[in-house]
Amino acid sequence: MNALIDAVAVESRKARSARVLWSTGALLTFGVATLAAVVVAAGRTADPAILAKLGPQAATGDWTALLATAAQVTAAGGLLAFGVGLSWLTGREFADGTISGLFGLPVSRSAIATAKLIVFFAWAVVVSAALTVLLLVAGFALGLGAPDGAAIAGVARQFALGALTALIAVPAAWAASWGRGLLPGIAVTVGILVLAQVSVLADFASWIPFVAPAFWSIHPDVDSALALSVVPLVPLIFGAATVMVWRRLQLDR
Amino acid sequence: MSDVRLRLSGVSRTYRGGAGVHGVDLDVAAGEIHALVGLNGAGKSTLMKLMVGMLRADAGTVEVLGRNIFGTDGVDWAQVGALIEYPLAYGELDGRTNLLMAARLRGMRGRAAATAVDGAIDELRLDRYAAVRARRLSLGNKQRIGLAAALQHHPRLIVLDEPTNALDPSGVILLREALLRRAEAGAGILISSHHLDEVARIATRISVIADGRIVGTLDPDGIDIERAFFAMVYTAEATTS
Repeated sequence: MNALIDAVAVESRKARSARVLWSTGALLTFGVATLAAVVVAAGRTADPAILAKLGPQAATGDWTALLATAAQVTAAGGLLAFGVGLSWLTGREFADGTISGLFGLPVSRSAIATAKLIVFFAWAVVVSAALTVLLLVAGFALGLGAPDGAAIAGVARQFALGALTALIAVPAAWAASWGRGLLPGIAVTVGILVLAQVSVLADFASWIPFVAPAFWSIHPDVDSALALSVVPLVPLIFGAATVMVWRRLQLDR
Repeated sequence: MSDVRLRLSGVSRTYRGGAGVHGVDLDVAAGEIHALVGLNGAGKSTLMKLMVGMLRADAGTVEVLGRNIFGTDGVDWAQVGALIEYPLAYGELDGRTNLLMAARLRGMRGRAAATAVDGAIDELRLDRYAAVRARRLSLGNKQRIGLAAALQHHPRLIVLDEPTNALDPSGVILLREALLRRAEAGAGILISSHHLDEVARIATRISVIADGRIVGTLDPDGIDIERAFFAMVYTAEATTS
């Protein structure tokens, strides 16, 4: 247990100084909030051409429009951002050559890999919370008034969507570890992104863990909420696989 | 024998194509600086990787501080300091923080870690670089950080692969003195190198490796060890080809 505490302390210290995590987090929070705010501002104009382009949901120009837009962008952009962050957290040890310094230590590589996953999730939760707060600020700044019950539920859903999206990005850690670099992790992230978005657009296979958060963000009903129960399978399976890769690692290639 | 800090018995590891190390026996005693010399590609780094578990041996055993490194008893790795291949220096962290992280990975915390880090910074004259991010350091100064990380906890066994790589003359002298001090204090030290003059200055014993096999030993106080080294290597190559 002490080894895991030491590993978490080291990984969190590294993460706090990591430009990649700061810039990725900032890009996601400000990017999504700005995009959603712009869509809502456009929806509040009286120009019928713009309203027609935005579609019925965004054209309402209220909290529902703001949160629905943010959710749609988060489902795709969040996955990409979290996948890049996690690929960097794990793959950088191989890319920078620092992996050789992680052998012959009382803190095992299993503990280090577990610590990386813990720190990643903590970072993702902080980013998701920051995005949620920023959306609330944007809503007030746009003059949408106090959020009603439905809007408050939408805010909570936005935060949960961020955390769930982080969970389905965990295969990036396994790919970056198995492939020993950042690119395999990013490639797997893009693969999951394509699978999720195509399935949502085709209204197909909402019960697949990689698809469930995106589906729920678009259609937040009872069925899609139930489908979220399979999401934890992704971090459990791929988190365990990541730890296994680090435990058995040999620097033979 | 309790004063043996490292023992390899019949260790083999063969890569695809036949390269690797073959049937190596080697030990390092307490208070000894054992140098492993060989040409590039002779198997020095492979052998050192086997000592800390970066590679698993196809045959033979590796014992560190009296324990098989893949045994169930577990090696006390907090008593080992190694630098093999790249220094553990994260670009986003400054020199001092890198050393604190290395100390933490060996279970050292709080005041104990800070004291060890201060000692290493002083010993390897890293004070100018303590507050500089590692990504801005030269290769030689990153190497100094890596060496400090491997030495700062005063391990009982030290394993260094080509430690003088990229070091300037002042860094070489500082390292030499640091190793001699630790050997005098009882640490067992194994260093690999292809700089014969350098290892002859500090080594108690010199083993020669060629084509993945230990092919002989050199007398560190010998008159012409360079000639003896090449005679040994060429004889070994003629035998195996």
